[in-house]
Amino acid sequence: MATKEENQLSLLLDDLTALEEYIHDLFNFSPLPICFISPVGVILEVNPALEKASGFKMDEIVGEPLERVFKKEEIGPLARETIKEGSVDGKELRFFPKGGEEVAVQVFTRTRKDEKGEVVGYFLSLFDLTGIKKTEAELKRVQTALLNILEDTEEARRKAEEEKDKTQAIITNFTDALFFFDKDHRLALMNPQAEIFFKIKKEKVIGESINRLYELPELRALIEFLGEGMKEVSRKEFPLTEDFILEVSVISMKRDSVDLGDLVVLHDVSREKTIERLKTEFVSLSAHQLRTPLSAIKWSLMMILDGDLGAINKGQKDILEKTYLSNERMIALINDLLNLARIEEGKYALSLAPADIVKICQSIIDLSEEPFKNKGIKLRFNKPAKKTIQVLVDEEKLKLVIQNLLDNAFKYTFKNGRVSLSLKEIDKGVRIEVKDTGIGIVEKEQKRVFSKFFRTNEAVLVEPAGSGLGLYMAKNIIEGHGGKIGFISKVDQGTTFYFVLPTKS
Amino acid sequence: MKKILIIEDEEIMLDLIRRKMTNEGYEVIVARDGEEGLRLIKEGQPDLILLDLIMPKKDGFSVMAEVQKNEALKKIPIIIVSNSGQPVELSQARKLGARDWLVKTEFDPRELVEKVKNVLAELGE
Repeated sequence: MATKEENQLSLLLDDLTALEEYIHDLFNFSPLPICFISPVGVILEVNPALEKASGFKMDEIVGEPLERVFKKEEIGPLARETIKEGSVDGKELRFFPKGGEEVAVQVFTRTRKDEKGEVVGYFLSLFDLTGIKKTEAELKRVQTALLNILEDTEEARRKAEEEKDKTQAIITNFTDALFFFDKDHRLALMNPQAEIFFKIKKEKVIGESINRLYELPELRALIEFLGEGMKEVSRKEFPLTEDFILEVSVISMKRDSVDLGDLVVLHDVSREKTIERLKTEFVSLSAHQLRTPLSAIKWSLMMILDGDLGAINKGQKDILEKTYLSNERMIALINDLLNLARIEEGKYALSLAPADIVKICQSIIDLSEEPFKNKGIKLRFNKPAKKTIQVLVDEEKLKLVIQNLLDNAFKYTFKNGRVSLSLKEIDKGVRIEVKDTGIGIVEKEQKRVFSKFFRTNEAVLVEPAGSGLGLYMAKNIIEGHGGKIGFISKVDQGTTFYFVLPTKS
Repeated sequence: MKKILIIEDEEIMLDLIRRKMTNEGYEVIVARDGEEGLRLIKEGQPDLILLDLIMPKKDGFSVMAEVQKNEALKKIPIIIVSNSGQPVELSQARKLGARDWLVKTEFDPRELVEKVKNVLAELGE
């Protein structure tokens, strides 16, 4: 029969066995590699997780020193610290499994003591850092990449900023006034010069619509000038006040055929215009003053020649006739100057009225027939199919143009030559052509033909008198009518001047 | 004999026109500015007036404007004899009753005589 103590002992033993089994199970179950190390660093026990991590079978590793799987210089200090401190909490070491690459691990230790407090060894557990290291490396790589991207972005931003600064500086310091209207015709930008020109602060107008801007007295004239549709214009004169004249260009801005808006550039031409006006006024005044004595000379000579002041002999008459012609040339020159001044002054502004262009041409032909016949040049008028063609013109000025072209043909065509005036109806207009078989215009001089005061050397040789203003005026007048003038010419073969006028719609 | 009043400030032109008209057999009276001209229009009873435009004291347009106000005087034909001939001036002169216009550099004394004869003949009819 068992004693009470025996029974108790047996129960305790049972408990102890159960506990040992429990611990053993736990040890085996733990996914964390754990081993038990003797105080001198010999591996005494390992769990399956450690077997797996190290690649050694239990019988291969038990009894081996820790240096088998760690570096001596790393594990030595750890063992000493463990004995001394009782535990080490997560130290990073290199772990060397069987035949494999080194693995970064975190090592935890804790000593075990017997009932007398003597250290009997210590537990050592590993935590594989490979995953974390890998993630960390990955993170680092991502971070570096991100930093690189950020750097690139920053660089791009800086460059863009620089470009913007440059553009901004150009816009700000531009001596022309600039307005930029976006595609919805809202004012998106204006520069300081525009503020000065129009005496308005940009804060008051940026973002406003055309209609709203029209309400502002400072900008009304400009908006009116630009029109609602903002058509492209190039260097059109825009008098803001009487002595403040701007030249306006409107440029439609597009990128990849997408409408961005319209840029309006205003250039101050007041100074040029003032000088031009002063010059014109001077010419006009001089011409008037010069005409007065020329009339007196003309009338005196004519009366002497007419015998109003007594009889004169043939010699006197010859000289006086030549003097009279010289004076006439002078008058013609002054008249040209006067006309020119008036054209440039705007006094020559066209007074348009409906007129029959066929009749106009005929009247000029009638006047010209005699001189052409006298010089021995055949003059022909090629009439259009229609009897009358109505045009909206300034008759006086148009006559000046046709007369001028015929005069030139007359002057620069020799005896036995031919000159023709042709009038033809074309689409939405008429074309008038004066063709001669004269000296022609040297090719290198052709582009200067319509310049003020220009005459070719050849022209001067044939006809010394001439102001070089006729064609300049003709161009002004024809363009004033919305027409076009041009010519084709070949030296020694002849010249054809033509112009086109729009017909009255 | 028809009487012609010449209103012209430039001495040589005045002299030339006077001689020409006298040679043609007209009676001539002269004025050297607009004021004197206006006085002679009223007092001299001319049959025709040759009028310059740019003159001292009173210009040709003002002279015409005053003549227009007087029913009797406005019947006297006026021919403008000027150095200028811009369309605006021409139409203004027509409104003020000028019968004809002659730009000195473009016409000569013979043509002036013709114009005078024509105007007087029209009036005589």
